[in-house]
Amino acid sequence: MNAIHPIVLHGLIYGGAIATVLLTLTAWGIWFERKFAGRMQSRLGPTLVGWVGLLQPLADAAKLLQKEDLIPDQADRTLYLASPPLTVFFTLATVAVIPVSVDVAVANLPIGVLWILALGGLMVFPVWTAGWASANKYALLGGMRAVAQGISYEIPMVLSALVPVIFAGSMDVNEIVTWQAEHHWLVLGPGLFAFVIFFVSSLAEANRIPFDIPEAESELVAGVTTEYSGMRFGLFYMAEYLHTLVASAVASALFLGGWNGLFGLADGIHWMLAKTLALFFMITWVRWSLVRFRSDQLMRLCWTYLVPISLALVMVSALWVYYEPMLGGH
Amino acid sequence: MTLASAARLGVDPHRDLTDYDPEADLMVLNMGPQHPSTHGVFRVKLYLDGETIVRAVPYVGYLHRGVEKLLEELTFVQATPIVDKNDYVSPMTNEQAINMAFEALLEVEVPRRARYMRTLFAEMSRISSHLLWLATFGIDMGGALGGGTTLFLHCFREREYILDLFELVTGARFHYNTHTIGGNRHDIPAGWAKRVHQALDLIASRVDEYLDLSTKNAIFVARTRGVGTLPAKLALELGITGPILRASGVDHDLRRDAPFHAYDEIDVKVQTEQAGDCLARAHVRIRELSESIRLSKLLVDGLPEGPICGGRPIKNPTQFKAKDGQAYVALETPRGELGTYVIGGGGNKGASPYRLKIRPPSLHALAAMPYLLVGGTISDAVVILGSLDPIMGEADR
Amino acid sequence: MGYFIDAARSMARSMRTVFRKPTTIQYPAEKRDQGPRARLTFALVHDEHGEEACVGCLMCEKICPSRVITVTAGDKRPSEVTGKKRGFADDFVLDMNACIYCELCVQVCPTDAIVMTQDHMVPGFSREDLVLTMDKLYANETETTLSWGRASNLLEMQDPKRGTDEDRAATKQKAGAKPAEAAKAAAEPAKAEAPEAVVAEPAKVEAAEPAKTEAAQAEASEAKPEAK
Repeated sequence: MNAIHPIVLHGLIYGGAIATVLLTLTAWGIWFERKFAGRMQSRLGPTLVGWVGLLQPLADAAKLLQKEDLIPDQADRTLYLASPPLTVFFTLATVAVIPVSVDVAVANLPIGVLWILALGGLMVFPVWTAGWASANKYALLGGMRAVAQGISYEIPMVLSALVPVIFAGSMDVNEIVTWQAEHHWLVLGPGLFAFVIFFVSSLAEANRIPFDIPEAESELVAGVTTEYSGMRFGLFYMAEYLHTLVASAVASALFLGGWNGLFGLADGIHWMLAKTLALFFMITWVRWSLVRFRSDQLMRLCWTYLVPISLALVMVSALWVYYEPMLGGH
Repeated sequence: MTLASAARLGVDPHRDLTDYDPEADLMVLNMGPQHPSTHGVFRVKLYLDGETIVRAVPYVGYLHRGVEKLLEELTFVQATPIVDKNDYVSPMTNEQAINMAFEALLEVEVPRRARYMRTLFAEMSRISSHLLWLATFGIDMGGALGGGTTLFLHCFREREYILDLFELVTGARFHYNTHTIGGNRHDIPAGWAKRVHQALDLIASRVDEYLDLSTKNAIFVARTRGVGTLPAKLALELGITGPILRASGVDHDLRRDAPFHAYDEIDVKVQTEQAGDCLARAHVRIRELSESIRLSKLLVDGLPEGPICGGRPIKNPTQFKAKDGQAYVALETPRGELGTYVIGGGGNKGASPYRLKIRPPSLHALAAMPYLLVGGTISDAVVILGSLDPIMGEADR
Repeated sequence: MGYFIDAARSMARSMRTVFRKPTTIQYPAEKRDQGPRARLTFALVHDEHGEEACVGCLMCEKICPSRVITVTAGDKRPSEVTGKKRGFADDFVLDMNACIYCELCVQVCPTDAIVMTQDHMVPGFSREDLVLTMDKLYANETETTLSWGRASNLLEMQDPKRGTDEDRAATKQKAGAKPAEAAKAAAEPAKAEAPEAVVAEPAKVEAAEPAKTEAAQAEASEAKPEAK
């Protein structure tokens, strides 16, 4: 035990715990999504496996595990095999800097926001390489669209994530949450538009409807994941929900006050969970109600609307923070 | 379409690819025959420059089952259950078409009640077909996991009411075999008219829901406006009929212009649009749905009493014989003009047709594909194919 | 922006559906009411003397468009109940793998021997499980609920001589003639016969549904003033 550096030990324990909780939430998030989607469509979701279908994720996992492991003949083996675990890895790594409770995080990096955004950028890579390595035109198209969409929507995401940084004066996520605990949640004030833009950009980064062009089933069969079967596909599937949860967690930390409680109630992990799940619910709701954008419309939305608005928001926030004390702010 | 008329219209789908910039690489992508949204087994070979389609070559025939040849072996009375499966989305109109053709050939009269019933069934079939079209259009746009599916399930929920109504009359939900030479085989049970009104009122009240999820949605409009514009002249040259033609501005509907059965007694309001793009086709079909609801209510209230079959009921496979003669009958299905051409004097001592030719509207609609897809992206290709509403069972027979 | 407002509207619509009762019927725990005319699987029946109704005439085999019926006709011998000579079927095989449920075999049977049922066929694990042999067909007579459709019911329903004189006159009406004139022309002579005929029709049609006859008569007398 004393051979292991305390930081590493801290990381392993907290990281392991948070990752476990997160993966469990992912599995049952899938269950919730299917039930909720069912109700939105006048039908019941899964009902047979376990009470109200609660064991469905386990059934899905068992199904995927027993499938044949197919690797296309002309696929680039290294990239093909590496892509699914890498998507999950980069997504999980993002959670390292998010404070789940007061001062409790796997790693309280002073550049936490930069870590999150950098990993957000890295997450595009495995999707791209999966598309290329599959030796399938549909997958290739899906991968190219994913790259175009991913790198475009990073810009509004970065810019709108700068707004909490400017207000709190630090890139440390825990500091941002503490600032919100001391002042007010950013979404209830000047950060509302930034929150909306961050939310929309996260939807696009997570390839969720209305931005799910890279895996548009009706056009590209299964997009990037066309040639994947069994647990490899399971990893992509899980990574998508994981990304959604992680994006919700990040948004709640940066804009919704993280572990900070409402109405003077006790701060803690339960608030963090509640906010994350609330955002996850919103994302699911959006997914099952809207049709998708075409890729050029998606691009137009990003570059002609979101980027200028988020640039303007950054400027406005900076000016606000600078002039507020002079205007007798709080 | 001939080369001369293509030149006159200024369209050229069979673009010579050597004219294309040789610097750019073209990728050949096969959409189909197995594909989640090709509406049946249909293949389009796309030549892509990045995501833009430079040329599209459609291939049909994957669902060819030899129906016309089969019907030369079977007799007149056995034909109805076979052609049920052509346009498998609105089976009542298929049955009506073939039986009208045989009645014209064999000179059998249809009683007034049967004419009304056939028209009523055809209108209800139109409602169910347009609901199915809207449902699959939603899936094309929103994906099998997503908002499109919500629209899909809403539409199918309503369509079930109509199928339940048909089940009460004929016993089958989908392939009925209820039309026969001279009229219908099943009569309407007691209390059916009330249930029809209930179901149609329910569907009429839910049309707003569909609009919320479709044509009133800005994303839907952005995906369909200006996409796949079909000029009226091209549509006429290709022989396209039905909602596609009406959406391009041509006011033509066989129900009003060449009325058959009970259409001469009721007033059909033909819906047209001028734009000719996918959004216009969507509008036309949804308005036709509302119009069919109104017509069905009129027909079910005004159903006259009387016999339902004017010819001899089926007791024997060879009971109807035709030594010679020809007949062509056209009627308006949810896809357009379905024509049936029958020549009598075939095998089984004249109890089979010598030749039966079915003119499917979907095949002509698919002929517009090479013209409409050029210049769009793959996403547009899917939306355009959805808006043309082809049914491969009918196109290939 | 328009996108947000329309997105909100679609989302509101989806949420409203959440609070509606789902339309799922959880088969096989719940079953849907498919109506008395449902065409699901087949049964061979016995006639009023308790003997097999099938006389081995092979009409169903001849008319089946999918050629799924194979009947082996037996020798004509005297019936054990009435003593008269009649045909029998030695074997009757109906292959449900290829049946298209068109009901033509039911329509043409001269003795109402083959009927369809309102209960689904029991699924099997192999193609052989779906071939209905003669034992299975006669077993279905008692094990399943039979449908309304029999040859005699269908033929009665399709009888061209059904209905009043006025209706038959309307049958001769060519497309395009004004309905008001035809109705007026036929109205006077038909008035005396009309009430009788209309009441008789629903009773004939709904022969197998005694519970509904009263309702049918009430419907018919309501429908009469409406239709004209």
